[in-house]
Amino acid sequence: MASIPTRFDVIVVGAGPAGSAAAYLLAKKGFSVLLVERGKGLGDKNMFGGKVYAQPIREVWPELDKEAPIHRWVTKERISMVDGEKVFTVEYRTEKKVSFVTYLTQLTQWMIKKAEGAGALLASEVTVEEILMKDNKVVGIRSGPDVIEADAVIDAEGINRLLLERLGLVKKLDPDTVGLGVKEVLKVGESNIESRFGLDKKEGLAWAIVGDVTKGIPGGGFIYTNKDTVSMGLVLHLSKKLIDEGSFESHVSSLIEGFRLHPYFKPYWKDAIISEYGGHLTITDAIKFAPSKFAYPGLLIAGDAAGLLLSLGYTFRGVDYAVYSGKLAADAIEYARNNGGVSYENLQVYDDYIRKSFMYEEIMRHRGAITLMNSFELMSRYPKLLTKVMEKMFEADYKHEVIYNSLIQALKEEGISPFNLISQAFMMVKGI
Amino acid sequence: MRIVVGMKWVPGTTSVRIDPKTGTLIREGVPSIVNPHDMPAVELSLQLKDKYKGEVIAISMAPPPALKGLEYLIGMGVDRGILVSDRAFAGADTLATSYVIAKTIEKINREIGKVDLVVFGQETIDSSTAHIGAQTASWLNWPYIYYVHDAKFVDSKFVVERVLEDAVEEWEVELPAIIATHMKALKPRPVRLINKIRYKVEKPIMTWTNAELKLDPRCIGLKGSPTIVSKTVNVPEVPRKKIVYTPKSGEDAAKWIIETLMKDDKASKVLMKYLSMEGEVQ
Ligand SMILES: Cc1cc2nc3c(=O)[nH]c(=O)nc-3n(C[C@H](O)[C@H](O)[C@H](O)COP(=O)(O)OP(=O)(O)OC[C@H]3O[C@@H](n4cnc5c(N)ncnc54)[C@H](O)[C@@H]3O)c2cc1C
Repeated sequence: MASIPTRFDVIVVGAGPAGSAAAYLLAKKGFSVLLVERGKGLGDKNMFGGKVYAQPIREVWPELDKEAPIHRWVTKERISMVDGEKVFTVEYRTEKKVSFVTYLTQLTQWMIKKAEGAGALLASEVTVEEILMKDNKVVGIRSGPDVIEADAVIDAEGINRLLLERLGLVKKLDPDTVGLGVKEVLKVGESNIESRFGLDKKEGLAWAIVGDVTKGIPGGGFIYTNKDTVSMGLVLHLSKKLIDEGSFESHVSSLIEGFRLHPYFKPYWKDAIISEYGGHLTITDAIKFAPSKFAYPGLLIAGDAAGLLLSLGYTFRGVDYAVYSGKLAADAIEYARNNGGVSYENLQVYDDYIRKSFMYEEIMRHRGAITLMNSFELMSRYPKLLTKVMEKMFEADYKHEVIYNSLIQALKEEGISPFNLISQAFMMVKGI
Repeated sequence: MRIVVGMKWVPGTTSVRIDPKTGTLIREGVPSIVNPHDMPAVELSLQLKDKYKGEVIAISMAPPPALKGLEYLIGMGVDRGILVSDRAFAGADTLATSYVIAKTIEKINREIGKVDLVVFGQETIDSSTAHIGAQTASWLNWPYIYYVHDAKFVDSKFVVERVLEDAVEEWEVELPAIIATHMKALKPRPVRLINKIRYKVEKPIMTWTNAELKLDPRCIGLKGSPTIVSKTVNVPEVPRKKIVYTPKSGEDAAKWIIETLMKDDKASKVLMKYLSMEGEVQ
């Protein structure tokens, strides 16, 4: 019998995109790696689709395009503004393989297989209960009665940071920094998807919806075309205020139902059955959510746990950011090994890597977006204004209004001054 | 002592749906799990090992995905797993299944070491026959006790407690024996990290095909299965009316139930029918 190891070079907590990428690269670089995941079937349950940006992931897995479970490459991006039954939609088409649609769990499974293939030891169905400290340094983990030691621990536990909370490194989840995502998967069928959304084989559509599909709650809707299903849902920005009002829970199911039955969207999933549904938290305010440092003695924080998610309202970048931060964590540990060992001085490069990365720069650059996403203007007024302009331009039995007058009239009816519109539009463009 | 525990890899019923057209299970996308009623059997086996030393071997006749289930049991503390897997075993009813399992136990007896006890769960959630324990005992000609919730040695005698509706019986059993646990007998222990690491490092799993077991093809799989499901009738779910009434007394409750049922067209007809039948009997 081989002896059972109780010490590894690196322990990675959480086999999401961040943890799997870090484990994969470290194992490939020759480190002994323990990857611990509390989930059971490694995502055979949670099959929701999302849009994933490819390039940062290709830096870890150049074989991504060929091997990964990619449902469709996004060739169409749509944005709709909704006011009641009125809808204003813009669409952009591209041929470039920038982002793709997939079931996130299939993609994660693929990443985990890669990590295991490279030699990382995956222990699933096991919850890490504690990250262990000794003399102000992280030395390992505990699960039940079992203690496993390591030179470094990568915390990739996702948005619900119970372990970091327990260490006192982050505060309890602040509702103002997160949103609730609710999703449904509708079995539309491959050929229906292609004919209804006007897509070719392997082509996909990503659709962001703003306006009163969320009935005044900041956030928005999304629709993604998977291979033979459509994922649709809402992201609702939480806030202490909303939760205190207590009306949140009853809202959610009726909101998503309202979205599903909306006359503009309904035909896309005509006759489809709901095959899955569920909810998950997501980061809405990355800067407030982030821990004060990304590297601590013996500990690196990656992915959602590090607050690395870009939410622009029309696009989410969480998966590729998670993978890329996992890569930076692996780079930092390799740097430490090559420079005399996994000391805190050496591990600190990770903090630098993150702060100088495109991810952090992007999050800082777009920090205005969050204020905007939470603003009443974007959520309610502008969709109303735009649909009103359209109404004045198109809904004429005999006489059509000139565009300029349509706008002025709509502004008047909505009580928005042209000056405010211009300054806010400027802020919006600058913010996003 | 050497204990063999049986495990079935079944579709998780909470998510199983029936195709209303064909009346068959929709298996697509339904994640499988260890049959929950096998868990007390595993727990009892592990408790016996904790007390009396020895080893616990989990066996499962199933296609390869059931390895996940064996991994789970090894995570709980089972020493090793044997997956009995061959296309030739497919389509088996309980008779053919118990035959393969009995032969597997004989092979363990011969090649790994003497088996003292075999433990099964009460029944499976996907077929609920409760046949396997009894049939395996018949093949092996070993004693069999059902509804077990505890077992221990008392003065070198193996004593098994079996729960019935209104009594608990104690049986002295000669080993080797087969027992099946009551579904609520024991709460299973959680998976441990160290066992999971051991699983990955030592890979304590064997797969036995019919090349190893060498069983007569007429006794296994579809050919060895005299049971045939000739027809299934799909009973559609009746939507609940969700009426809540808080009665003042038992009498009031009975009165209210009768009145409410009589107000309902369908229910009143059924009720009247039974009431008139009752009259005939008298
Ligand atoms: C509704 C919604 C829609 C989204 N859409 C998109 C999208 O379209 N595109 C996109 O790029 N991103 C999207 N995201 C964000 C994306 O899902 C996340 O950013 C990404 O999954 C983060 O990866 P991660 O590895 O950091 O964390 P996670 O994927 O959350 O993984 C963390 C893992 O750690 C495990 N874990 C946690 N604690 C423990 C513990 N104590 N012990 C053991 N294991 C533990 C968990 O089980 C989990 O598997 C969306 C998120 C939501 C909620």
